[in-house]
Amino acid sequence: MTTVAVRPVRRWIHQTQVAHLERGERFGTFYVIVLSVLILGSMFWNHIHGLVWPTHPDISGLAAGSLTTVLTGGLYLALRRLGPLAISRPAASWLLTAPVSRRRLLWPSLAVASVFAFILSAVAALAITGHASPRPLPLVLIILGAVAGLGVLLVALAAQPGRRWARLLDNVVALVVAGGLAGLVADAAVGAPLVSGFPSLVGPATGALALVVGAFFVLAVRNLNRTPADRILDASRTAGTLADSAFGVEPSWVADMLERQYWAHRKLRSAGLNARLPVLTAQDLRLALRRPRRLLWLMLATALPALLSHAPTWLLGIAVLVGALLAAGTTAANTRSDAANPVMLRMLALSSRQALTQRLIVPAVLAALWSATSLTLLQLLSALPPGPWWALGLALGPVGAAAAIRRARVGFVDNSLLPLETPMGTVSTGPALASVVGYDLLLLGLPAIVLIAEGSPLTWVGVAVQVGFAALGARFYLSGTTDPSRVELAKPS
Amino acid sequence: MQVDGLVVGYGSTPVLNGVGLLVPAGAGVCVTGENGIGKSTLLRCVAGLQRPDDGEIRVFGGRPGSTPDYWRAVVTTVEPPTWYPGLTAREHAELVCRAHGQDPAAAGVDDALEQFGLTGHRDAIPASLSSGQKQRLTLALAFLRPSSLLILDEPEQRLDRDGRALVADLIAEYLKTGGSILMASHDDDFAAASGTDITTMESLSPASSSSPGPTT
Repeated sequence: MTTVAVRPVRRWIHQTQVAHLERGERFGTFYVIVLSVLILGSMFWNHIHGLVWPTHPDISGLAAGSLTTVLTGGLYLALRRLGPLAISRPAASWLLTAPVSRRRLLWPSLAVASVFAFILSAVAALAITGHASPRPLPLVLIILGAVAGLGVLLVALAAQPGRRWARLLDNVVALVVAGGLAGLVADAAVGAPLVSGFPSLVGPATGALALVVGAFFVLAVRNLNRTPADRILDASRTAGTLADSAFGVEPSWVADMLERQYWAHRKLRSAGLNARLPVLTAQDLRLALRRPRRLLWLMLATALPALLSHAPTWLLGIAVLVGALLAAGTTAANTRSDAANPVMLRMLALSSRQALTQRLIVPAVLAALWSATSLTLLQLLSALPPGPWWALGLALGPVGAAAAIRRARVGFVDNSLLPLETPMGTVSTGPALASVVGYDLLLLGLPAIVLIAEGSPLTWVGVAVQVGFAALGARFYLSGTTDPSRVELAKPS
Repeated sequence: MQVDGLVVGYGSTPVLNGVGLLVPAGAGVCVTGENGIGKSTLLRCVAGLQRPDDGEIRVFGGRPGSTPDYWRAVVTTVEPPTWYPGLTAREHAELVCRAHGQDPAAAGVDDALEQFGLTGHRDAIPASLSSGQKQRLTLALAFLRPSSLLILDEPEQRLDRDGRALVADLIAEYLKTGGSILMASHDDDFAAASGTDITTMESLSPASSSSPGPTT
């Protein structure tokens, strides 16, 4: 079969696409981008400098090692989620099926991913070394980090064809990330010692790793031809949805995509819904039980607020509340489905109030258990004074549930709202409002934030105040946004 | 179900102009007509999913609405459902039965799935089914739950010959048990087999018919 060169085809496509642009227009765009980077860079230079290059080392070896583990694992999982090789959707439709060299077709994508992984890893290595290493900074560690990032990309690339070991590796990396997070929590709890120095083997090890990564990179480029088309299509769809979501400022598309991708690869077995529970509660319970990995992550994440044990105490309270919202969001997909299209609600013929009351129960239990566990752990780590913190955590259940349900009902971003002019520039009101919907209801947990921030022993009176806030808030939310004589969750326009 | 002087337009284009229709309790009417003549619009208005520009619609003596009571009596397939995530085809059927206070086994969930040729797909996520299988599942849910009025938009669409015969039989059976049906279809044979009275959209407008009602 004749193979057509890709480059002239791509050049022709690009020239046709930009044919309507005037000559100066591209330079204008380039100028705006460079100017924006310079302005933002000069505005935030001190913050960025402090973040990646503090004056003195301020984190322990345990924290640095754990952070390295989390970021390396996170980079691998992110690259796996994105592909890592992807081409645009039009290219996937027209060029993937054309008689062009797949290696040449995919090479630009590999080049972009490599540069991305290299730079990101170098910056992360610089930040971690800057925070942990004694002065002067050993630059070889930054090179080691960058080369390791490239190595992670090559592993993700080898896993893309969907080999059997890839899924196993994904699980192992997820466990490694969990281990890294546990290390960070342990560091916050015990206060591990600072790093005194690095072994002299780091230099030769970096050189050896660079050689190995270089060799595998050449091999990976040669094997680009063997990348299966279905994997490239999957990655292209993901990249396309992310681009749509970013340009359209519509995060719900990403949520829908993740939901579809999750269930598309699951083999389910029909099991009866629990007849003793209200029907939609039983459905939510079934959904939660079918996401054991998410439940496990949530359980492990109960320790994460401990990372803030040295931060201002009000921040600790907010972290617990946000965690409660995320825990309650485990079953939010059902409410999102009902809010987006009420056809099934009409089939079920339940009123919006019945439906939402039933839909609040499982999220409330999850949020209550999450907050209670998290606050108890904080108390055990002496980040909180004595008191029945577990009870305060249980009282936050309805708060997390109401907030998660409100967030699930947000629907599409309203881009018709007038933009807001500020000294920092124009702010799009629709996306800004949509981004805080749900989180605003966490204000119902204000008593808990105050009680945590006070730093005094917790009394049952404090718990009772939070119970009252949560119960009244959830009740007002239900009565204010639902109607016993209306099926649809949204009010008719 | 009674429709009088229904007027609906999309922008400056009128789709329904003074349409009238009467479906007595226990009767079935099938509206036919070419694409774009307004069949689905009529069904959407009767189901309360679209507000007409003018005219009167009465369903069981009241206006079509979004109340739970209305939707306990009425089932429609005018709009395709959004399937719940992580719930199998059988569990969707069970969910619908339980929401209406039915025991899934007694209501015949498994029989209904078998009848519609979905037994082999009972554990499938509905979103992963073909368009024909989704149509079968939607119809299975519609016939499984109790109702007094079915509003079906081209129920024969995307079904093979056996599927059409099955749905026609189920509609005939539904009418025998006292239910009412309003449906739109392009298939006269299917409409005749289902035992519904066939009427055309043209005959429902005042220019061609002095008294609203289907021709049998």
